[in-house]
Amino acid sequence: MVSEDVLRTHLQELRRGTVVVASLVALRRPDYGYALLQRLTDHGFPVDANTLYPLLRRLEDQGLLTSEWNTEESRPRKFYRTSDEGESMMSRLLDDLAAVQTSITGLIQGVDR
Amino acid sequence: MNTLTNRYLAATLRSVPAQRRDEIATELRASIDDMIEGRTDGGADPATAEREVLTELGNPDLLAARYADRRLQLIGPTYYLVWLRLLKLLLSFIPALVGTVVAVVAAFSGKGFGAIGTGLVVALHVTVHICFWLTLVIALIERSQSSVDLPEWSLDDLPDAPVRQGIPLADTIASVVMLVVTIAYLPFQHYQSWVRATDGDNIPILDPALWSFWLPALIVVLVASVVFEIVKYRIGRWTWALFGTKVLLNLAFSVPLVWLALSDHLLNPALGLRLTWLAEADTRNAIGLAIALGAAVVVVWDLVDTALKTRRQTA
Repeated sequence: MVSEDVLRTHLQELRRGTVVVASLVALRRPDYGYALLQRLTDHGFPVDANTLYPLLRRLEDQGLLTSEWNTEESRPRKFYRTSDEGESMMSRLLDDLAAVQTSITGLIQGVDR
Repeated sequence: MNTLTNRYLAATLRSVPAQRRDEIATELRASIDDMIEGRTDGGADPATAEREVLTELGNPDLLAARYADRRLQLIGPTYYLVWLRLLKLLLSFIPALVGTVVAVVAAFSGKGFGAIGTGLVVALHVTVHICFWLTLVIALIERSQSSVDLPEWSLDDLPDAPVRQGIPLADTIASVVMLVVTIAYLPFQHYQSWVRATDGDNIPILDPALWSFWLPALIVVLVASVVFEIVKYRIGRWTWALFGTKVLLNLAFSVPLVWLALSDHLLNPALGLRLTWLAEADTRNAIGLAIALGAAVVVVWDLVDTALKTRRQTA
């Protein structure tokens, strides 16, 4: 029987980097923090609010996201969108994610590449 | 706007960089309101929803640290090993060295027995200072953006594999215990010798006048011997350098002892008042000679034994 704590730690480690990729993909359609959180959760990327909000700012600082304030609705919201730079970064990350999947599949099938 | 959210925002924004505070405030407030609204739309009570949302966001200091990309550790993995190695290196000799020097100076200036206390207090102070300042400097380096160029680890840094056959751990422990007991006995006999004056006061066995220099000096030699035993164990076998140090330490202890014993400076003259047989000069000379001979025999036997071991282990 695997300890729940150990399992949780490993799952966390495994998931950590995927939040960035998922956000970059999702934000090809501009969105604000809470809506993005909902969307990611609906698509099977459960992420804590206190992780996601600071992460969005960090990605913006790195030039991977651009942002725009929308003041038309009931409250001012900051909409993020994946930048061109973010787009190329995303495709690199997606390639790597696919490579990991390929490698794992290869290992499972015991096939030498 | 209700107060819990305001308090939460204030607590979070307190420690984010000032130039982005307003923007983060507006965004975070909107996000919190969105989250609360998400719950009240599902039929939750607004006050409960607010509590749940803020609880979910967690400790404001932690959230602020994430916004500011700040490290939540005093010394991280980059510098921890450097910090540890420097700390061990500095603590291995500086407090003992400074404490010994201060004790010897105090002994020379006539503080007598109190010199040891002075030395210990100074050594303790030095220890605390080293721990504090080293940790502060490394923590500041950790927080500064500039990265210090640390020397890369290389294979050449590998220490020799310890060779343990030469010096058994049990021998080292026994030697250290013997030395510590001897060190402890010197002040102990001053207060508790089981010889009492007629008025019930304790009469020290060793001449109290010796505390002005000779006993502190002998204690310094004994402390050095403890350090020597530990260094010897770390090296793991006898070398001629170790043998030479051992000769020096043995002579530094036994020559003063023999001289004091032969010149009748060792025993407390006051003992003669209580134990009349000790008052006679012949008895005192005989005791002095016995101590001197005993010390000489032990030293010679020890050095011959050590020389043989060293020759065997360096062969």
